[in-house]
Amino acid sequence: MQGPLIDTLARQGVTRRTFMKYCATLASMMALPPAAGRAMAEAMAAAPAASKRPSVIWLPFQECTGCTESITRSHSPSLEGLIFDAISLDYQETLMAAAGHQAEEALHAAMKENEGKYLLVIDGSIPLGLDGAYSCIAGKSNLESLKEAAKGAAAIVAMGSCAAFGGIPKANPNPTGAVSVSDIIKDKPIINIPGCPPIPVVMTGVLAHFLTFGSLPELDSKGRPKAFYGETIHDRCYRRPFYDQGKFAKTFDDEGARNGWCLFELGCKGPVTYNACATVKWNGGTSWPVESGHGCLGCSEPDFWDAGGFYKALSMPADPLKMASTAAIVGAAAGVAVSFANRGKKSAAKSAHETTTLADLEK
Amino acid sequence: MPLDAIPVVVINSSENPATVDNSLSGNAPVLLREIAELANRLLATGEASAIDLRALPLTPADLDWLRETLGQGQVSATLEAEGESILSETVCPGVWWVTHHNENGAVVSEFIEVTYVPELLQAHPDDVKIGLEHLELLISDLS
Repeated sequence: MQGPLIDTLARQGVTRRTFMKYCATLASMMALPPAAGRAMAEAMAAAPAASKRPSVIWLPFQECTGCTESITRSHSPSLEGLIFDAISLDYQETLMAAAGHQAEEALHAAMKENEGKYLLVIDGSIPLGLDGAYSCIAGKSNLESLKEAAKGAAAIVAMGSCAAFGGIPKANPNPTGAVSVSDIIKDKPIINIPGCPPIPVVMTGVLAHFLTFGSLPELDSKGRPKAFYGETIHDRCYRRPFYDQGKFAKTFDDEGARNGWCLFELGCKGPVTYNACATVKWNGGTSWPVESGHGCLGCSEPDFWDAGGFYKALSMPADPLKMASTAAIVGAAAGVAVSFANRGKKSAAKSAHETTTLADLEK
Repeated sequence: MPLDAIPVVVINSSENPATVDNSLSGNAPVLLREIAELANRLLATGEASAIDLRALPLTPADLDWLRETLGQGQVSATLEAEGESILSETVCPGVWWVTHHNENGAVVSEFIEVTYVPELLQAHPDDVKIGLEHLELLISDLS
């Protein structure tokens, strides 16, 4: 592709006004002043020809490809997707046509040509167990690949909760010894974009910022861009007034749930989760978990998988069994009996189509 | 089975969550002073400016109040670009209310622009050149 980005967009039927509108909205989502929208539009519209586009190398490690799915299924493919035309995506296993030796060649050529300048995107965690044998690409462990690719990178984007914090592979008991990018690489700027998966516009926003201002946006203490992770889900939740009034749904089908009351008592992790779901929403602004009646799982926070149960209110102790180990021994026999009784009750409820209670979900 | 064959029952629709937080917060009236300041700047230096209404703690009621107070002027323009955008002048000339919708009709961003003509409405010189080429093509077809 040759010529400025705006010409490329025009060929795809995207007008200058559409692009300006998109940039104004993107700036608003990133909490940048309105003037930044114009600066972005100007800088990106004039983004240089193919030969000078910044190189991006995307390496997948221990991951499920959900992050790639999220980014490529962004709702306005004509725009969000085309922002990628402003970069040169030199290696992305899922999207690239090349395979095997050709793919490896493309990777090494891009790394050599753009040494010190390319943006490295990682999705997935890095397993350290069994010398990294749990996840290998082209005969190399993820650890080796990461170290090799990080050496020449200008900056690293840790895409998704696995790359940013270890994610689900790192969940207790962490059989593969999974760690995050920042656990291994210490000498490069790392930007974490957690979420399981992350919101597409966050990735686009970070790229737009990189292209426009030549720098990475401001980060919080966990390495996340403040523009998107500056406030909790709870801060911006439209159900917040109900929390303030003390109106809570107690089960998923009671009066409170039907009235759209606060989901705190059903285990919503909104108050401790920093992400932009409440404002940006999902599927092209259609809805988001809390709007569809389910509490936030806290997927953009470290170790969300082991945070004590998705349906336990934040105010409840994470794991009462650990806190009362002596009581557990004494009550062990009784506990087994209760658990069997509960299991019986659960299957009975299932066959009779009875209401499933919160307590059933926790068993 | 087609989707619309499934009956949809709305329970407690009067308690629509969208209308919950619908009281005035007191943050809207002060915006009038800021708009006046920006209008002064426009007259003095010709510099256009904008206020991002999504970045401010305004309730839906605040926005309604502001929209009503500023009123509807003579000009209103609609832009079709990945969803509808409406740029309408308020009763204060030079103060524009700009609302961007996405393809689904949801509001994605909302601004007050203080400018003689919003930049989005003006044609860009590069686009005028493309239009000119097209005109010349039309003219050459005449002969």
